[in-house]
Amino acid sequence: MLLLQNLSNALILACTYILMAAGLTMVYGVLKVLHIAHASVYTVGAFVGVLVFSWLGNFWLALAIAMLVSGIFGVLIYRSTYFYLLNAPRTVPLIASVGMFVMFTDLLQKPFLMGAYQRAFPAGGAGLSAIKTALFSFTAKQVLILLVTLILLVLVYIILTRTKLGLSWQAASMDREMASAVGINLNRSIAANFFLGSALAGAAGVLVGVYNNSVFATMGDLPSYKAFIIIVLGGMGSLPGAILASLILAIVENFLVASVGYVLPRDSIAFLVLILMLMFRPNGLLGRE
Amino acid sequence: MSQLEIRSVSHWFGGLQALRDVTFSTSDEILGLIGPNGAGKTTLFNVISGFIVPTRGEVLLNGKAIHRLRADQTIRLGLARTFQIVKPFATLTVEENVLAGLGTPYYPKAEALYKIYRTRENLEKIEQMLEKVHLSEYRFSPAAKLPIGLQRRLEIARALATHPKVLLLDEPAAGLVAQEAEELADLIRDLHSQGIHIILIEHNMRFAMNLCQRIVVLAQGEIIAEGVPAEIQNNEKVINAYLGQE
Amino acid sequence: MSSGYLLTILIFTAMYISLALSLNILTGFAGQVSLGHAAFLGIGAYTSAILTARYEYPFWLAFLAAIIITGIIGTFLGLPSLRVRHDFLVLATMGINFVVVSIFKYVDFFGGAMGLVNIPAPTLFGITFRGGVPYLLLTAGYAAFTLLICWYLSKTWSGLAFQTIRNDEDAAASLGVNPARYKIYAFGISAALAGGVGSLYAHFLGSVFPDNFVFVESIGIMSMVIFGGIGTLRGPIIGAILLRLIPEWLRFIQDYRFTFYGALLVLMMLFQPMGLLGNESWLWRQLTRLFRATSKVKEEVQG
Repeated sequence: MLLLQNLSNALILACTYILMAAGLTMVYGVLKVLHIAHASVYTVGAFVGVLVFSWLGNFWLALAIAMLVSGIFGVLIYRSTYFYLLNAPRTVPLIASVGMFVMFTDLLQKPFLMGAYQRAFPAGGAGLSAIKTALFSFTAKQVLILLVTLILLVLVYIILTRTKLGLSWQAASMDREMASAVGINLNRSIAANFFLGSALAGAAGVLVGVYNNSVFATMGDLPSYKAFIIIVLGGMGSLPGAILASLILAIVENFLVASVGYVLPRDSIAFLVLILMLMFRPNGLLGRE
Repeated sequence: MSQLEIRSVSHWFGGLQALRDVTFSTSDEILGLIGPNGAGKTTLFNVISGFIVPTRGEVLLNGKAIHRLRADQTIRLGLARTFQIVKPFATLTVEENVLAGLGTPYYPKAEALYKIYRTRENLEKIEQMLEKVHLSEYRFSPAAKLPIGLQRRLEIARALATHPKVLLLDEPAAGLVAQEAEELADLIRDLHSQGIHIILIEHNMRFAMNLCQRIVVLAQGEIIAEGVPAEIQNNEKVINAYLGQE
Repeated sequence: MSSGYLLTILIFTAMYISLALSLNILTGFAGQVSLGHAAFLGIGAYTSAILTARYEYPFWLAFLAAIIITGIIGTFLGLPSLRVRHDFLVLATMGINFVVVSIFKYVDFFGGAMGLVNIPAPTLFGITFRGGVPYLLLTAGYAAFTLLICWYLSKTWSGLAFQTIRNDEDAAASLGVNPARYKIYAFGISAALAGGVGSLYAHFLGSVFPDNFVFVESIGIMSMVIFGGIGTLRGPIIGAILLRLIPEWLRFIQDYRFTFYGALLVLMMLFQPMGLLGNESWLWRQLTRLFRATSKVKEEVQG
């Protein structure tokens, strides 16, 4: 019983990781940039979500607008920075990304934006109902997270495999020059990639905000670092790998905390895993040489 | 006096076999290593110079097994190399690039931490070295600013600075115009006459045929012919291997 | 501005000059981008704080221990650099920073989130350096020492070896440089020098907290190196001075210090990736041109 309940809790945690990591791994696939400022997109998503929700009181509208705004925010990040650094040495866009992350995190903490305090995000289960079975149960909030994640993942899957856009990303991730040589409008393709990836991060921000009933300026820090761990575990740029790694990390964290207790907080367990992974399996769990 | 023996070397990259049971030996000559694209020539160089540990087989330099040594260890036994895709130290000047080669004996020792590299003695050596490869006038330019032909020569100068017994040149004539290639051939003959054992990979057939004393032909990871240039030119297997590629 | 406040600013500036120079050995000389340098500052600070405040060792011993212990730990923490390159190394160093801070925070031995307090003012040769001018001399002296080490190192074979692995590890190996050995050297030396700053930092403030050494601190140090001009000696010094002092001159920046740092990093990457005074930077080219022109004029006048 406890085991199954633990597993279902881990599943919910994994869902939020997946949405965050999916965007990051898509961006890495195409640009080969570690997009650290992704954390800011996540926070902006949550912030917009909570604002719209407090004006209109409709969760679904808040989610849609938050995703739209995060998507646009992501495209702006790309167009204002990475776009100009596509051919620079890899550390150049990386450091620019770090710069943006620091800048946005600091700005978001200012009183005219989010301030230093936490806001409640009382959307509850957004009208969904809880699921209770003999073996496990999901609260309404958990059902919401599961449902939204599943819908978005199906959407992403369709875009990736069934549309020209998805094919253009695959081409670009293999060889950017070749992709533009065969007539792919690289610029538009990458911008769309950023839009989708950032919208997913925005959705993750909204869902986590609702789940914890709290939104604050630095909420993106930990999830984004974990998302890095996940995309390393999953093999950089691989979406299925990222999903698997999200599940593994969530399960490991849940069980370590539940059973062993801990000397270090579970977040540093994740970092130790990262460092060990980087040292011993730098191509990820599913990665090939 | 140097003798290099390659004994049944095989290497796989994942499921792909890059070298199949390659065996030959060479001593104090100018040996050409030719073959169509993907024949495994550069892989063989990487095995000899210590960048790759072969899946099977061994490499002996003057009777000593070296195939398990790292690149930074083989160089200390006198085995220097250049790269097919040139790798100059872009941010350093030409002079500093060559100086880096002079440091070979120091790098593994703790004295590297306190010994100054820019001494008058070393700078004089550099001057001679640069004259030899006709790079004196570029002495203070950053290596990144040199055209590709000069970068190739810089790489040779850098390798020479390590005082090699064996020099592995990976397509030294690639990207050179006819006259430059001629000068390069003269330089290589000159180095050989000074007692340096030279092994070179070459795509330019005429260049290889004129320069090398003996030639080993690789195709699909295997040796298909071995002999003096005249023999190789008329060898049917070799002609087929090259035609097959075209 | 009171003179005490001015002195404090100058003391911090001197400490950050040492920090930026030490990071520059790792990132500028040897090309290993690290976003975890504040961890080394922290290890040095905690070492010195624990030895003096808890075990009552004299300052000079704690100071040396901070340098040595941080150097040794840095050598071990450099191990990931042997396996991973570029952006993966950056991730690993970020991870190291987090793990080190959470050890400070959650292990009782290190005082937990309440940190360590009552760290005594340092005493050397019977003189107690309590704030003010003496402490400025101490920190400035250490900055000069760091500069000397960096300058000398850049002249040695190992300095040249660092440059070669930054440019191309395979080519470096083909000349006899063992990239692994030199990366570890760079991590060790860089960490040891930062550990010394950590000791001075702890004794100046009198208390240390885990939050003093978090990831954004690492970013701050990296900003200084990059802003000034990575890989040079002048760059990190100028970077540290400007990034410490600009927010003091322009008070409105004070509250937006990290927005300012972040924006600066982005702008530098877009327009001057070599930094303000890096070798290929616009400003440095103008300065060298100006210098050449004036020396020519002088020659003509004298000739």
